[in-house]
This record gives sequence, C-alpha cells and structure tokens, in this order.
Amino acid sequence: MNQVPFVEDIETYAQDIVDTVREPLLMLDTNLRVQSANRAFYETFHVSAAETENQLIYQLGNGQWDIPDLRTLLEDVIPTSSVFNDFELEHTFPIIGRRVMLLNGRKLRAGSHSAIIVLAMEDVTERRRSEADLRAIETYAQDIVDTVREPLLILDTTLRVQSGNRAFYHTFKVSPDETENRLIYELGNGQWDIPALRTLLEDIVPKSSVFNDFELEHDFPALGRRVMLLNARKLQAGHHGELVVLAMEDVTERRRAEEEVAKAKEASEMANRTKSLFLANMSHELRTPLNAIVGYSEMLQEEATDRELDSFCADLEKITVSGKHLLALINDILDLSKIEAGKMELYLETFELKALIDDVAATIKPMVENNSNKLHIERAGDLGAMRADQVKVRQALFNLLSNAAKFTHDGSITLNASREMMDDAEWIVFRVTDTGIGLSPDKIVRLFQDFTQADASTTRKFGGTGLGLALTRRFCQMMGGDVTVSSVPGQGSTFTIKLPAIVHEVRAEVLGDDVADPDQVVAGIDRSTDPIPEPSTCVLVIDDDLVQRDLMRRFLSKEGYCVRCASTGEEGLRLALELLPIAITLDVMMPDMDGWSVLKALKANPVLREVPVIMLTMVDDPERGHTLGAADYVTKPVNRRRLSKILKRYSCSTPECPILIVEDDSMIRASMRKLLEKEGCRVTEAENGEVGLASMERDRPSLIFLDLLMPVMDGFEFAEKVRDHPEWRTIPIVVVTAAELTGKERRRLNGYVETILHKEGNSKEALLQQVRDALDNNAVPRIFAA
Amino acid sequence: MPKILLVEDNEMNRDMLSRRLQRRGYEVIIAVDGQQGVALAQSESPDLILMDMSLPLIDGWEATRTLKGAAETKHIPVIALTAHAMSTDRDRALEAGCDDYDTKPIELSRLLGKMEVFLGGDTGTAAGTRKGA
Repeated sequence: MNQVPFVEDIETYAQDIVDTVREPLLMLDTNLRVQSANRAFYETFHVSAAETENQLIYQLGNGQWDIPDLRTLLEDVIPTSSVFNDFELEHTFPIIGRRVMLLNGRKLRAGSHSAIIVLAMEDVTERRRSEADLRAIETYAQDIVDTVREPLLILDTTLRVQSGNRAFYHTFKVSPDETENRLIYELGNGQWDIPALRTLLEDIVPKSSVFNDFELEHDFPALGRRVMLLNARKLQAGHHGELVVLAMEDVTERRRAEEEVAKAKEASEMANRTKSLFLANMSHELRTPLNAIVGYSEMLQEEATDRELDSFCADLEKITVSGKHLLALINDILDLSKIEAGKMELYLETFELKALIDDVAATIKPMVENNSNKLHIERAGDLGAMRADQVKVRQALFNLLSNAAKFTHDGSITLNASREMMDDAEWIVFRVTDTGIGLSPDKIVRLFQDFTQADASTTRKFGGTGLGLALTRRFCQMMGGDVTVSSVPGQGSTFTIKLPAIVHEVRAEVLGDDVADPDQVVAGIDRSTDPIPEPSTCVLVIDDDLVQRDLMRRFLSKEGYCVRCASTGEEGLRLALELLPIAITLDVMMPDMDGWSVLKALKANPVLREVPVIMLTMVDDPERGHTLGAADYVTKPVNRRRLSKILKRYSCSTPECPILIVEDDSMIRASMRKLLEKEGCRVTEAENGEVGLASMERDRPSLIFLDLLMPVMDGFEFAEKVRDHPEWRTIPIVVVTAAELTGKERRRLNGYVETILHKEGNSKEALLQQVRDALDNNAVPRIFAA
Repeated sequence: MPKILLVEDNEMNRDMLSRRLQRRGYEVIIAVDGQQGVALAQSESPDLILMDMSLPLIDGWEATRTLKGAAETKHIPVIALTAHAMSTDRDRALEAGCDDYDTKPIELSRLLGKMEVFLGGDTGTAAGTRKGA
C-alpha cells in the first residue's frame, strides 16, 4: 500500500523491533480495533494473526479480553490521556488460566497513520506469587517466633535489638517500644547489662555462629533471681543482613527440681544403706535364738529316737526342718544385705577345682537322687586350680545344683567344668544342665531378682528362699564374673557361671552401688606372696637431705610400705597430688620452700587435707623451744563438723568420752562444751594450763582441746608437762588456734599435724620407732612381704 | 574316752554342745571365757579344744596364741568355732594358730568329722545311735 520504499523500510524496521520485544504487545486504533500484535502476543495467548487483526479487542479469543476493568481503562483513561502505567489486571484467560497482567499503554501518532494505542502486557503472575510467598514466609516466621514460649530476641551484629517475641515482652514485662532499636544492655534500665553476657555476646558471638546452653544466673528486676539458659544462632537473613537470635530459657525451676531430686536420691541411698545395716544386725540377732531352737529340737529328736517315742519324732523333725529353713532364709538375707551395705568381703585363696567339685557333688548327690535323678560330673582334664572365694564359689554351685534337683524328676543333672580363654584371660566356666521343667522367657527375666521365684506357686511346691539365684549372681559379680541362663520350657535349663581363673579384689560400685565412695571398697583379703605396691599404699617422704631420705626409704620399705621420695617442697606437693599417699613425712628445714609452707599447702588442698603428715624436725634452735606434739588442730570459731571428725578420729565418739577444754575465753569454752556435749562427751573446763593440770590429776581425759595463749600457764607449757607425765603422754592434744597463725606461733606450734618428731637428741632407732608409731596410730594400711 | 575342752561364753550353746558330745561318749570340760580356757587347758590337758572366738576377758584368738605359745599346751589341737560367713574371723583364727575351724551354727555330724581327724581312732565308740538331721 505504501508508495515510498523508505517508509516501508521504517515500518518493517519498527515491526522487527516490536517482534523482538518479549512482552506481548497489541497495537489498537482509537476504536480499539487491533491493528497488529507482536509475536510474543500470539505465542503467549496461543492465537493467530488472522483471529486477531481487525478485531475489536473485546472480541479477541471468544471475548477473553472483554474485561470490565480493561474497558474502563481503554474507554475512560485512554481518550483523555496519552499514557497509562502499570495497570494491574487479574483475570482468568481461557488457555493460559488465571494471570496477573501489568498493562502499560501509549497513544502514538505514527506518520501518516492515525493515532494508535500500544498496549504492552507483562505477565507478573509469578512475580506476584513469589512476593506473596515471601510475605507469607515472613509472617509465618514471625508467627513461629511469637508462638515459641521461650523469650527470644533478634539482634543485629551491633547487638541492637531488631525485635523480640511475645514471650520476651510478656516475661520481662516490657513493651516493643522500650525494646526495639536499643542496645541489649540498655534494655529495661540496664537489667541485661550482665558481665557474663557481655563476654558471651562480644567475645563468643563474633567468632562463632552458635553457642549452646550458656547458663546465666542473675537478679532481674521484673523477675527476681533467675537461672537462664541462653542459646544463640547467627543467621543470614536476606536483606536484613546478619542477625543473632538469642533464646532465653528460664531453668530456675528445673535447676531447683534437679537439686531436690539429687537430695532425695542421696537421702534414699542413705536410707537404703541404713536399712541394709539394720537388716544385717537384725539377722544376726535373730539367728542366736533360732540356733537354740534348732539345736534343742535336734537334741530332743535324738532323745526321742533313743526312747523309741516315734510319735514325737515326726513332730520334732518338723520343728527342726522349719527352724533350719528359717535359718537359711535369715542367712540369705544377711548375705544380701551385707552385699548391699558394701560389707561383704571376698576371701581369696587358691584351691584345686577337682577337690571342690568332688566335694560339692558328694554334698548334693542325696538331694539329686531324691527325685530319681542321675548326677553327671564332667571335668575338663586341664582344670587345675583357681583363685577365688572358695566358699562363695561352692555356694553358687550348690545353689544352681539344688535348684536343678528341685525342678527335675526322673531326669539327669550335669555339672560341667572347664577352663576357657576369653579376651586374653583365663576363665573357669561351670555349666549346670538339667532335663527339668525349664523356664519360659518371661520367667527368666524375673529369675535373678531378690525374693522372686519364677512364680509364687513354685515356693509352695518346691520350697526355697527365693534368694538363692540373686545371691549366686551377686557372688559371681563380686568376683568379676556372672551367671547366665538358657532354657527351653519342658526340656530343661542350663545355668552357666563364668569366673576369672584369678579373681582380684572388687569395688563396691560393681555391685550396683554407683556411689563412688572410697570407704566402700571391698578389699579382698589377699594372702598372696607377691605384694604389688599400688600408689595409694605409698608413704611420701619429703626431705632435702639425701641421707635422711635414704634412711626413711629403707626403714619404711622394710616395714612393708611402698615409699616415694621428694627432695623439695614443690616436688613433694606435686607427688602428693599424684600419689595421694597414705601418709607424708615432712622435713621442717628445707631450702626454697620450708616444711611449714608445704604443710600449709597440703592442708589447704581438700584432696590432701586428710592425709596424715608427720613432721620431722631438728631441735637445733633454742629459740624455738620444745615442740608440742599436738595431735591435731582446730581453728576458731570451732566448726561442728570438724569437731565431730576429730572425735571420730580419736575414737571418742562413744558416749561419756571425757574431754578437757583448756581455754581462757569463757565464751569459746561454753560454745565448745555445747558442741561436745551434743556429741555425747563429758566435758571438763579449765581456764588455764595450771587449772588444766590440776583437773587432770582428778580425772584423766581421753582427749584435750588446748588453747595456746593463756594467762598463768600457757598452752606450750601445759603441753610440755602433759608430755612429760608418763600416764598422760598418750592423750591426744588438739590445739585450738586462731584462723591465721603468726610466724612465731607457727614456729612454736609444731602441732597442726599428727605428731612432731625430733631428728636429734634421739637415736635413729628411736626416731624410726616414732615414725612407725605415728603410722600405726593413723591406721595406715601396709603391705607385708611374705 | 577323749577329753574335750569346750570354751564358749553363750550358755545355751555351751549346754547344747556339751550335752550332745557327752551323749556320744566324750568327756567334756567347760570354760566360759578365754582366761578360764587357758587355765583349764593347762591343768586338765584335754585331747582337743573347741574354742569360740568372741569371748570375754581374753578372746579366742588371744587364748589360742597363748596356748600355742606354751610348750605344755601347744600340741593340743584347737578347732575354732566362728560365726557364719565371717571370713575374717576364720582367717584370724588360723593365723592365731588354730588347727581347723567350724562355723556356727554347729552341724554336729560335720563337727564330729573334723574332731575325728585330730582324735584318730579313739572315737570309734562315739557314733552311737544317731539318726539323720
């Protein structure tokens, strides 16, 4: 149609541009009839040019563009203005479905053409959807944050609060206005300005992206004293940058509950131990009269047999049998309660297994044959000897065999014994197999429990204490082994005992008592010929003098102690911590760190405080005067726990223990008297040394508490007089001192300690004898060479 | 007729054991504490001593040590009677010089067996007419 090729060229050029645009375009004339569309339009709406050109826009694609909003736009906006921008239109199109279109329009005059309207449609459906999703996610995140019942703070990396959650505002009774955009330390009048929190946030947070379970105890104005458990995460939060989420959990109640549980647990363990002790004592008391009942009924039975009083015999036998049954029960209870109280000992000896098995077999044979059973003994050829508690091994075997005999009729019972290698160690394995009634799996579960027979009816039918298997298991476990069972109901059972061929002493914890109490170590009495010195049986000698060290070492080794030496105070302290020796001998005069400083360090360490220290000193200084030889010391004010410990140590805790207090301060005397009388002691008071000595003439005390600085006769003189008196020499003196001793006092008071020995003025033998006595007095265990 | 010295402080135990031993033909002399036990062992020269360990005045261990330390009594066999399952008592009894031990409560046939080891054939008459239990 166009006459001028140049114009044609431009029009083609324009059409090319239009087609290149990836956004659908429609060119309308002012009547809203489509002039043309671009390729993107046809492709997007899946229509052809023939269906489109020269159509009214509303007619396009079966009227899919007949949209009221578009009509308004095209008919009202376009005529009056030449442009409209970003008109958003949401509409369901037949082929492409519901879409959000962003419409932009321009009214153009293109050369000779009349005005045309270019309508550009951008499909923003996806964009709108992801924007909505993002909003939803943010709301969702905020909802979660608000739902969490634990207070949360969102901080930026400068520790300024971005926001808190509802729980935070609620818990700390603050509003968002008071919180947001403030530094965490400024919150609630600085209630969060806590040094520990500062360290955490300023030192830890910048370096790591997370910290867990930081416990903070703090007085919060709104809440009072609380324990908070803090957790933090560093997050990359898109355009928000890096954020720190700080979660605070109030664990105050939980901690309190935990403490209460721990206390309750301790109390119940204590009660359990008390119960076991009670049972042990009780059983002992019960046995004495019962022995008489059993004994006399046996005697009467013998008598009745002799006189042929047969009708009496049967009844007397019932009394005897019942008495013996009761006795067996009590013995089992005693054993079990002894194990529970940690008082059951192992008596280790080496014995031939053949002899043991023959003996057990001979004892059990009549019982096995009662039910028409046959007893088979299978002994491996290489059985040899084992080292264990023979009585307990025998009892364990006897328990298993007598059970087998009880529950088997017209069958066989086999005792098999062998020596087996397991985990590089030799074990003795006993298997007791029967062809009896067997056990169902649920019965096996209850089998080894105290007082549980597989079911109550068995007790009536077969008798027994119900403790045999429980005891067998405990015995085996004490010896480092165990007992197990396998069984098929109706076919029989096999009980297997595995014990180390060489049993060593065990700790009480192994027996199910998880209290790590060193007092509860069950020491096996081991008469083996080669003592193996262990660190815990060592005496530590601290002396700078080589000759003295050597002398002590040889002497103490000969006495059966394991000896370790240190030549300086520092080395001594280090070794003391390492070895936890049973006693320490300490030289007073040493270069660098003198004996007193070492002693002070030893007594200041809770681990070492109770280790007896024997001070060795030269009497080379006339200024120093005589040493006291005090047995112990207490500081003022006197602490009740310390006092009762001292009383226990000097075996003075039994009632009516006579005690002398020599002290010039009547207040201290009165308070100590009160404490001591509460412990069941009989107290005599003296206000100075002279009065003390006079009182001792009348009434010899078992223990003396002595103040040092007193008028008339001071503590030093008093102690000296007591030590010079042949009948008083052995009375332990406990020095009562002020909390801090002066250097001078300390020099005169050599009695912070168990005892003071002099190196000079005595022969070596006398000195060593004193060391020996001091160790004996402290009940220090030793190992004797055979 | 073997002469047995029974050292036992509990009256009922003493009564029972002495009567049962007498029924079996033993001559039984009695001491109620360790001191008396040592004295009677010296004056009466029994063939065997049954010694309870927890005794007043001088305990069984001490008494045994005294007896085993003296030329005129050290040949007399001593059987310690110890409480049930007290392995330490048993151990100490053997260390003190006891020749054997038996645990209380006394099971007569077992004790007689141990006694016979030391008394040899002298007790053939002692078996009597006893019946199980």
